[in-house]
Amino acid sequence: MSARTAPLFILPAFLLYAAFVVIPILQVVGYSFFAWDNGIAQDFIGFANYARLGSDQIFWAALWHNAIWVVLTLAFPLLAGLLLASILAERGPRTVQIMSAIYFIPRTIPLVVAGIIWGWIYNPLFGLLNYGLDLVGLGNLAGAWLAEEGTALLSLNVVGAWTFFGFCVVIYLGAIQSIDPSLYEAAEIDGAKWWRKFCDLTVPLLKNTTFFLGLYAAIEAMRFFDLIWVTTQGGPGYATEVLTTHVYKTFFLVGDFGYAAALSVVLLVIVLGLSAISFRLTRA
Amino acid sequence: MTNFNKHMRTMVLALFALYALAPVYLVVLASMRSESDLFDGPLSLPWPINTANFHRVWSESGFATFFFNSLKISVSVTVLVLLTAPLAGYAFAKMRFRGREPLFALFLAGLVVPAPSVIVALYGNLQWLGLIDSHLGVILPQTALLLPFAVFMMRTVMQEVPDELIEAATMDGAKPLYAFLTVVVPLARPGLMSMTLIVFLFSWQEYLLPLVVLQTETLKTITVGAASLQGRYGVDYGGIAAAGLIAFAPLVVLFLLMQRSFVRGLTAGAVK
Repeated sequence: MSARTAPLFILPAFLLYAAFVVIPILQVVGYSFFAWDNGIAQDFIGFANYARLGSDQIFWAALWHNAIWVVLTLAFPLLAGLLLASILAERGPRTVQIMSAIYFIPRTIPLVVAGIIWGWIYNPLFGLLNYGLDLVGLGNLAGAWLAEEGTALLSLNVVGAWTFFGFCVVIYLGAIQSIDPSLYEAAEIDGAKWWRKFCDLTVPLLKNTTFFLGLYAAIEAMRFFDLIWVTTQGGPGYATEVLTTHVYKTFFLVGDFGYAAALSVVLLVIVLGLSAISFRLTRA
Repeated sequence: MTNFNKHMRTMVLALFALYALAPVYLVVLASMRSESDLFDGPLSLPWPINTANFHRVWSESGFATFFFNSLKISVSVTVLVLLTAPLAGYAFAKMRFRGREPLFALFLAGLVVPAPSVIVALYGNLQWLGLIDSHLGVILPQTALLLPFAVFMMRTVMQEVPDELIEAATMDGAKPLYAFLTVVVPLARPGLMSMTLIVFLFSWQEYLLPLVVLQTETLKTITVGAASLQGRYGVDYGGIAAAGLIAFAPLVVLFLLMQRSFVRGLTAGAVK
């Protein structure tokens, strides 16, 4: 019986998903093999659009910025999440609930709004960051955070981290609760300090969770668009250009359909590759 | 770091709470500040509390319209997902049929597809369908992009429904859809609640699709409105703060009211 009903149950979801995700993906792959003029496909040109990737400086810069974003995300919000979750794990349930709610609030704020808020904080004229630096006597460190090539990407990553570390806390908390408490008790009998327990027990025991969050962060780092688009649009120069903004500009501003499609395929191959790896490894 | 004692650990907790909340606090302050009060320093308390900024953006800058557009789109997306994902998740969890694994893998792959990577073809398709500059042109692709997450989560939720209960219902002669609605859905209610909240959240936060699909001012959503306000009146900080607050306050309130449900949903979606 279920052999007949199952397709009917899946059909509504499948139709929507196929029409607005699967077919467009196949089309994008197809588009990438053609030369385009004014939105109309001209000649089949094989891999010629892909051949342009090699000499496209902006593409390589964008890819590099995506990679930096992954590394920064692993270094800051992931580590912060692990540390905060380990500290919270030994507090009462009320504290855990309140603190994890506080840490998670930024995740509920749309990235567009997050970008606007932090754009203010970084504003060189009246921003809170320069104001604060001035207040503690570090006024000479003040800068135009998002407008300078050296600091723009890093400054934006702090915003990304702001929206992401609470998620890491929540995931790590869930994982810590499944660790056998007797391991910690044994360490305490041996007189281990908190920091030792953190390094020798918590970190290694949670390495699967860290691995999962790392891949999740890497995939998210390839996908993000909103935050960059409302703050710097890839600038100054190309200092915060990422693959998604490069696709957007190539398509909507330059109108180069074939090359925009080739860039989209590269983006898809990277995210699907990363998710295939994570799927294989978490199953194993 | 050998002396990382309890007080220092509490300090770390507090420091990150400050990191999380300070920007939110800043926006709340700025939204209630009158123009003359603006240059007293960003942290001084606004006094008297001033609601002029809210009145201005709500009625003059069109945020009442943007807000209800966002609400309409998010509710529609959520309803569409609710109508389709639980059925599919149930079939993947409990039914045996040919092609189940490859079909599920196809949905799984969609978990990571970034909206910008399909926009090159999607935009032309929406034009062809006559859906550009209409809410439906945002609702349908947005639903499709959220379906992999929802189907995946629903499969996990439905797997926990005991087989015996389903079998008992079908033995009594109930049709599959009837058994699904009367036996499975009530048992899966917490999972359905989590999914509803998260789909609503993601849909409300969406920026790229409404940005490219909607052109008429009165059709735009709150994220697009907030972003364009920033460019248009580069100096109306009180107004932008009020607009930002209108854009995220419903989500924060919803989250604080239903924290448990939210967290359960996000962790279920996370543990792939």
